[in-house]
Amino acid sequence: MIPNCFTRRTALILLSSTAALPLAAQDRPVVAADNYPLAYFAERLGGGNVEVLFLVPAKTDPSLWRPGISDIAAIQGADVIALNGADFSTWPTKASLPRSRTVDTSAGFADRLITTETLTHSHGESGEHSHLATASYTWLDFSLAMEQAKVLATAMARQIPEQASAITARRDDLLSDLAALDARAATLAVDAGVSPIIASHPRYQYFGAAYDLAISAVEWDAREAPSEAQWAALDTMIAETGANLFIWEAEPSPAARERMSALGVIDVVFPPLANTPADGTFVELMDASLDRLEEAFQQAR
Amino acid sequence: MPRLLAILAVVALATTAQAHQLNVFAFVEDETVVVETRFSNGNHPVSGTVRILNEKQETVLTLSLETDGTVRFPLDRDAAASGLTIEVKTGEGHDDYWILTPEDIARGSGD
Repeated sequence: MIPNCFTRRTALILLSSTAALPLAAQDRPVVAADNYPLAYFAERLGGGNVEVLFLVPAKTDPSLWRPGISDIAAIQGADVIALNGADFSTWPTKASLPRSRTVDTSAGFADRLITTETLTHSHGESGEHSHLATASYTWLDFSLAMEQAKVLATAMARQIPEQASAITARRDDLLSDLAALDARAATLAVDAGVSPIIASHPRYQYFGAAYDLAISAVEWDAREAPSEAQWAALDTMIAETGANLFIWEAEPSPAARERMSALGVIDVVFPPLANTPADGTFVELMDASLDRLEEAFQQAR
Repeated sequence: MPRLLAILAVVALATTAQAHQLNVFAFVEDETVVVETRFSNGNHPVSGTVRILNEKQETVLTLSLETDGTVRFPLDRDAAASGLTIEVKTGEGHDDYWILTPEDIARGSGD
């Protein structure tokens, strides 16, 4: 006869080992996200026990993505639909999303969102005019990224109650990593004492505002070589701002880097990571970008 | 001072969506697809082209907006089996879309 204590112990061991196993794919709750930072946060919070649904193709700007019907159907079925807010993506306003499962991760800091002005255009009888808009790359202020991660963790714990305690535990690890990025960026900027900076695209408003860096921008397509007119406009902007540092949002061609060097400008690649990177994670790649910025700041001084 | 410069820089530069964009909304009611359009300033367009696309992005129907910015058409269950995308273009160069999934259509049809 098997002793009672053995069977109970065996049962406990079996139970605990089962609980520690990752859930099978079909059993995992689904968290949909509209950009890579939120998808990464969801992965970290879910720890392999949630399926993260981020459907934007690799070379597509997530803020401009237009989903297909099947994409929206899949997103509608998610347990949590995590949106960046701050006007990041337009597709959530073009389909019915379940309100109780949808979370705007920047709604809690609406008073800290940065207003920008879009390009001027004209139509009808109203004449030429421009529009106010909202800068949307909120996570580049790492303290705001922390707020977004907290909101997502709360929503996931509410919608996936059986994993609530594990999500809360993982949240603290994630927040610790984001806090380290925030502290590092703040120190970098304080130590930098650098001149104004120009970026290849207006993505860095929150980074500049959070870490006391004066960052203006041109609007260059990351995948195309700048035209002569664009180089001339940059030259003018450098003269006007006194900038001696340029941020590329994606790796440029060697020729473009040479040309930048000939202008006497230190350049650095700092991908904002709106979409999934080919290699590495959000925290690793942001840390690497801060490494490059630190080096560039030292050269620019 | 750097913070002020940063704020000035971002105010001066362009980024995202326009403030008086066209908004499209569609739903199914009593076997009819109802499309409503409005500009974000509250006005509605008085003319425009409405294209109905299936999941393969093939046009299954083209209609004109009514002067009140709406249009209605009977639900074709075969064409709508995999959902519909409704695209609207107005004469003023604005455009927008709305996606109806099979679940949206079933819910609206009382299935």
